[in-house]
Amino acid sequence: MNTIIIDGLSFALPLFIMAIGGIYCERSGVTNLALEGLQGFGAFCGALFAVCIASHFAGDSPVPFYLAMVAAFLGGMLFSLLHALLCIRFKANQVISGVVINILAMSLTEFMTKQINASLFQAPSNKFVLGVSARVTVPGISSIPILGAAFTNLYPFEPVIVLIAVIAWYVLYKTPFGLHLRACGDNPHAVDAAGIGVGRVRLIAVLVSGALSGLGGICFAYSISANFSSNIYSGYGYLAIAALIFGNWKILPTLGACLLFGFARSGGYELVKILEMPSSYQDLVMVLPYVLTLLMLVFFGKKNHSPRALGVIYDKGAR
Amino acid sequence: MKKNDRTVLQKIVLQTIGHEKRQPVMIPLFTILLSLLLGIVVIALLGKNPFLAYYNLLQGSGLAPKASYAGHKGMITDFTSFLNALTPMLLAALSVLIALKAGMFNIGVSGQMLAAAFISTVLIGYSDLPAVVAKPLVILTGFVVGALVGSLVGFLKHRFNINEVVSTIMCNYIVQYVVSFFINVFFVDPISRQSKNVGQAARLTLTDVVVGDYKMDIPLGILLAAAGVAAAAFLLRKTTLGFEIKAVGLSSKAAQYAGIRVGRTRVLAMMLSGGAAGLAGVTYYLGYFSSIQPRVLASTGYDAIAVALLGNSSPVGIVFSSFLITVISKGSTYMSSTAGVQAEMASAITGLILLISACGVYVKEKVNRWKENT
Repeated sequence: MNTIIIDGLSFALPLFIMAIGGIYCERSGVTNLALEGLQGFGAFCGALFAVCIASHFAGDSPVPFYLAMVAAFLGGMLFSLLHALLCIRFKANQVISGVVINILAMSLTEFMTKQINASLFQAPSNKFVLGVSARVTVPGISSIPILGAAFTNLYPFEPVIVLIAVIAWYVLYKTPFGLHLRACGDNPHAVDAAGIGVGRVRLIAVLVSGALSGLGGICFAYSISANFSSNIYSGYGYLAIAALIFGNWKILPTLGACLLFGFARSGGYELVKILEMPSSYQDLVMVLPYVLTLLMLVFFGKKNHSPRALGVIYDKGAR
Repeated sequence: MKKNDRTVLQKIVLQTIGHEKRQPVMIPLFTILLSLLLGIVVIALLGKNPFLAYYNLLQGSGLAPKASYAGHKGMITDFTSFLNALTPMLLAALSVLIALKAGMFNIGVSGQMLAAAFISTVLIGYSDLPAVVAKPLVILTGFVVGALVGSLVGFLKHRFNINEVVSTIMCNYIVQYVVSFFINVFFVDPISRQSKNVGQAARLTLTDVVVGDYKMDIPLGILLAAAGVAAAAFLLRKTTLGFEIKAVGLSSKAAQYAGIRVGRTRVLAMMLSGGAAGLAGVTYYLGYFSSIQPRVLASTGYDAIAVALLGNSSPVGIVFSSFLITVISKGSTYMSSTAGVQAEMASAITGLILLISACGVYVKEKVNRWKENT
């Protein structure tokens, strides 16, 4: 039971932070299929930074990890500028822009990883080895049955993500800026009439999504894969998009969707282990989260609706 | 702005793409040219010869002669193997296009491809049917399975208001894991760790056919793809269903007001889209390849989204865009071995082309504003 909660959380939280970024972006009216590419590029920047500074720190020092998170945050933000530029300034089709960013991120990071490994470390390798970050257990609370598991064997990124998520929730729902952002997605002309620049709000929203995706990416790189390679592009971004649509573009229901993905996944792995099935049966259990999502949408999907101006290029003169 | 204030550059641009009627063709061409120029700059910055690299792309795709060939190989064999790679891309782009016309976004092409190919592989690929029966059956099964998955997505959207982006992503994962499970448990080849190869009778590509002095791979699927494009063009331009699909795509409310049954049209469009994806699947896994790698989705499905949009979402347009994108991806192996430019560079150039062509609306607006200022 405890393993299910521990592993489930460590998968759900990075997904959640990416989905929050997506919510910011889409609630402001910009479709964001680029999460996959943004998380990969963010993870690339973080991993590159970590391997470059690793020699200055002791082997078990957590400092490179935190710096890598900062680098991934900034890297994702930088790359999302491209999405903002295309969607807001150049009025590009937002879907095509997202797909293109995914393609570019994939080819660029793979290309640069090879080049940098060859020139900087003289090693023909297509990945940056990071290792798995150390885990912490909160003394006291962790001994509570069941609930305590949420505080056992935590990756250091988990509390950071929770903190950022709380801030993101507060900003989106309780501040004037959050109101403007949500209004941009439903009725940008009203926002414009109120004297607030639609382009500026959307730019910030896209940057937030890039930064948070990058953060999510480096968390996956430090936990599941323990390195940066093209394996990072295994669909986390698309899964985050599914989670946020499942969550009806709202932060709390999206958390529920992410937890569902996480727990169904770790629960499935645990089930295979308990029943002592051969490892190929894992694949069958891996289907669980996705089938569950579809089933739940069948029952609760009626009320879902996207932001009204989602994907529509803002045109001042349009009626 | 007075007329003589214009710069030379503006004049050239206006001369070439200023004409309103030619813009739908000229602007994509202009953006592609611009991105190829950018590619030249990037490759030159890496210290490699960009023109040689581009020429290698053509050589690798069999569109230009190489310096030397291995025995029984030649430009024509390279070209047929290029067509072999083009076939699934064209069909996948067609699938995206049909869904797009109905205002839906099929991200699940990869999953539909895999599902169709897996069922065809198991039912027909491993049977002993003679080629005359097996090949049409493979195509039929591929279409039907793809269409079933597609119509499921359409049905979920129509009946339960499930966003097709979510349901197609979910279907991708479900298909990927279920297929991987069955391959690993029942159909695995212990050496290659992939599914066992399908029989030659069922394969849609004839391999190592001796024609004259050459041994070539002949993709039968390319005829299928051509027929598919023609059928889609006919459907969209000349039939009631095509008109209804376009009407629903432009405005579902207006279509409903006009008496079009929106739900039925959507399900039908997704069915056709899934069917095309299924055909792409069988030409990919039972044509271009002959086995399925478990746990991996073909990237074709995602690239096809970009190809369809680059082709201006028109059946004729995607022929050109998939041709261009396949030249770059297929030629990249030869380019990296000859010019020393890494193969990833090719997909970066693809990205650039798509990136710049995405700005087509902006270019058009800008040019038209210049025109108004004269």
